[in-house]
Amino acid sequence: MAKTADLLPGTLDMLILKAVSLKPLHGYGVLLRIGQISGDALEIPQGSLYPALYRLEHQDLITAEWGQSENNRRAKYYKLTAAGRRRLREETAGWNRLASAIAAALNATSEEV
Amino acid sequence: MLKRLRSLFRVLASRRYFEAGMTEELHFHIEQYADDLMRSGIPREEARRRARMELGGLNTVKEECREARGLHPFDELGRELRHAVRLLRKSPGFTVTALLTLALCLGANLTIFAAIDSILLRPLPFPEASRLAFIYNTYPKAGVERDGSSLTNYYERRGHIPAFSSLSIYRYGTAIVGEPGSTMREQITQASPDFFTTLGRGPVRGRTFTDQETTFQTNHVVILTEAYWRQHFNADRNVIGRQIQVDGLPNTVIGVLPRGFRFLSSAASLYFPLASRPEDRTPLQRHSGGNVIQMIARLRPGATLAQAQSQIDAQNAALERDDPQAKMMADAGFRSLVLPLHGDQVAAIRPTLLLLQAGVLVLLLIGAVNLVNLLLIRASGRVKEMAVRQALGASRRYIVSEAVVETTLLTLAGGLLGLVVAAGGIRLLAALGADRLPLGAYIAFNAQLAWVAVAAAIVIGILLAAPIAWFNLRDQPGHALQSETRGGTSDRAVQRLRHSFIVAQIAFAFVLLAGAGELGLSLKRVMAVSPGFRADHLLTGQIALPWKSYPDGAARLAFTEKLNDEISRQPGALSIGEVNNVPFSGSSGKSAATVKGHVIRPGESPRGHYSYGVEGDYFRAMGFSLLAGRFLTDSDSRRAARVCVVDQDFARYYWPRENPLGHLLFQGSEAGPDAEAFTVVGVVGSVKQAGLTDDTAQGAIYYPYVFRTDDSIFVAIRTSLPPESIGFTLQKDVRQIDASLPVNDIRTMETRISDSLAVRRSPALLAFVFSGIALLLTAIGTYGVLSYAVTQRRREIGVRMALGARPEQIRGQFFSLALRLLAGGTILGVVGAWLTGHAMQTVLFHVSALNSATLAGAAAILILVCLVACLLPAHRAARISPLEALAER
Repeated sequence: MAKTADLLPGTLDMLILKAVSLKPLHGYGVLLRIGQISGDALEIPQGSLYPALYRLEHQDLITAEWGQSENNRRAKYYKLTAAGRRRLREETAGWNRLASAIAAALNATSEEV
Repeated sequence: MLKRLRSLFRVLASRRYFEAGMTEELHFHIEQYADDLMRSGIPREEARRRARMELGGLNTVKEECREARGLHPFDELGRELRHAVRLLRKSPGFTVTALLTLALCLGANLTIFAAIDSILLRPLPFPEASRLAFIYNTYPKAGVERDGSSLTNYYERRGHIPAFSSLSIYRYGTAIVGEPGSTMREQITQASPDFFTTLGRGPVRGRTFTDQETTFQTNHVVILTEAYWRQHFNADRNVIGRQIQVDGLPNTVIGVLPRGFRFLSSAASLYFPLASRPEDRTPLQRHSGGNVIQMIARLRPGATLAQAQSQIDAQNAALERDDPQAKMMADAGFRSLVLPLHGDQVAAIRPTLLLLQAGVLVLLLIGAVNLVNLLLIRASGRVKEMAVRQALGASRRYIVSEAVVETTLLTLAGGLLGLVVAAGGIRLLAALGADRLPLGAYIAFNAQLAWVAVAAAIVIGILLAAPIAWFNLRDQPGHALQSETRGGTSDRAVQRLRHSFIVAQIAFAFVLLAGAGELGLSLKRVMAVSPGFRADHLLTGQIALPWKSYPDGAARLAFTEKLNDEISRQPGALSIGEVNNVPFSGSSGKSAATVKGHVIRPGESPRGHYSYGVEGDYFRAMGFSLLAGRFLTDSDSRRAARVCVVDQDFARYYWPRENPLGHLLFQGSEAGPDAEAFTVVGVVGSVKQAGLTDDTAQGAIYYPYVFRTDDSIFVAIRTSLPPESIGFTLQKDVRQIDASLPVNDIRTMETRISDSLAVRRSPALLAFVFSGIALLLTAIGTYGVLSYAVTQRRREIGVRMALGARPEQIRGQFFSLALRLLAGGTILGVVGAWLTGHAMQTVLFHVSALNSATLAGAAAILILVCLVACLLPAHRAARISPLEALAER
């Protein structure tokens, strides 16, 4: 098994938004998708997944609808709302800025000081 | 934010659906994960176990999900509510007492508040109503405080007072509407063309009056109220241009007013132009308005009443420069006053209403004190439970919120019951005559009142919770747990608090009782005033003689003579007469008169006197007392004899040391040739015109009817039968003479006097009801606290009795406690009653602020009630068996 990284605080919401932005997913599907798109590098604590989903739904960033799962069971599918899409864009941009800033800071050499 | 609230409401509305969905979703997750694990070769049971473990505790996850959905505080509130309901159901006696107390106290407050709100607080139903002003003439030195305005005032001021954007006059009246045979008397208002502009609300259909329509012959146009249009024209959209018969003449409908239009308390259903002749508008008529025509105006935006007042003063001063009457008017203290319309209308009733509200607030205080005491007693019984819960980790916040939830639940339920009481109370107010108060017709039970009830209930709930929360948090938990079952001796502070509450309660009840007593005494003194005539067996009614059929004095005289003949033939009719205004008619106008030979003393001003035209056997019908000379008779009118009768006040003022008979006087403010003078032929006792409390000796003159033939007359009939029974006969006889004439305002004189007292009787009655409730609450409070004291001290009493104390001593101990509380309460109460008495002076009649009889009465009643309330607990204390008390754990 590849080495997994702990989630940074606040990143779970962003990852969930990203996961459901690709295609409507049920809760378990979100878990699998995050694993898949992160190359199994990120491990989501299962206990925090659902409170996070409910919080995002409460904030109107995602909406839920009951549907049929692959094995014909009733499941709750989440998809992104317009507000959620906007939030995902902002968070992605913010994250990228932060990441490149941190990378730049960590790559600094003594000559640049 | 709004979106989140909406999401929260959605979830709350379908809570069960939410819970089921959440459970299903989590189970789906576990099963899917377990399936995946099984596929990787893990046995079924093990896979399921691991799947559950990974998710964490199912209940914890659910709780976190609920919290994420914003449901957490609601769950907690729900738990606390259920707990509170359980507690309240466990002690039904307490709960019922508390709810009834709250229902009565809040209900009484809401009822009076509804009246205050609609009469004093809510603006009049016109746009920017605060800019509306009322203007009237006053001649204080002539004894005429308030005299309306004149037509001349209107035509001189209209457009000449820059502070007003609009100024208008109006006059209340009645008219006979309909075809002969099916006529109805309607309340009407005659108004100048700008009346509706001044108010800011006018016809929604058609138009308002024009200036051309304010002269006779062209004034036959009418504006309908919405209700009249609906009722009599079936809401016909093409009503403009249709005609109705008014006082026998056709009038054209030119407009319909908006729905709900109502000017102050007037019940007018039709509006006509206020028509006049050019000679009525001349400077000579400047002061002849009587109290009939009233003036209102609208301030220009930015202008103030003070500016308007100074502009009117300036105009009056300028006009007086070439006014021959100016000197006399100045002597009479003439001024025109500009006052806010709303404030002026309710000025008379304001102190009474505020007083009643203060009274019910005191009642609410008494009730709240009772509740706090009961709640404290209950909390004392739960000291240990609280301590245990705090020891087990209940937070201070939780203890406080629990107290708040419980008391607020109680007060909210009490508030709802209070609304029911208020609905009844508002009906009671109407029955007591509130709709006859200025703006009283606006009093209604409405949604706003419900909101006030809810808000008040929540505030009171939180206030009640404060002492309970303090009590529960007061001690370190350990302390309460260590103390013996009796938890009593450490409660000194609490006990003192309870006792001072009782003292306060007794003081408040004393103030209410004393206040009610003063109002009652004042009413009794008013009722003991003699009206100056015999009010029993006397029926009165008003007849308006329309100008069309009765254009002159002769025609009117012919009518009254026919009527007198007709009625005097009826069985039971003893005497009958007519007058243009009976006492207690609700209106009173004074006119000037000049006594021949009377020299105006320095500083003396001309006086206004009640002036009447009488016909038939009016004096005998009314039961006036004849002091000298003779009454006027029929033949005086028929011969047009220039004679008159004056009352005692008049005679005393002008001829204090002379025989008034044979003296001459003139109508109006100037003496004329002797041929126009009236000779005084009789002196009668003075009567009260405006009301029993009317103390001014204004003086009255009675002329033969033919000299003062107003178009509105009152008929007075003295009967040997019950007077109500002759009302129908009166109507029938009038209709026989003229089928189109209805009789208006038929009331016995006793009813008139009684109606005039409504404004005194109703507050007194309400105050008695309030103090009755206050007494009951005080009795409950005293009983509750004393009987708790007995229970609490059972062991102590047991020990003392075992050591030889006699039952009388034990009983005496509790009586002396009750007496100490009573003494404290009464002393404070006397101080409060003195303050209240001062505050009430404006509404009292010949009763001083500190009346010893009412104080003694209030004290006696309170002592009696409190002693009875402590009888039972004291008795129980004296019967405690030492054996049982000591054996108890």
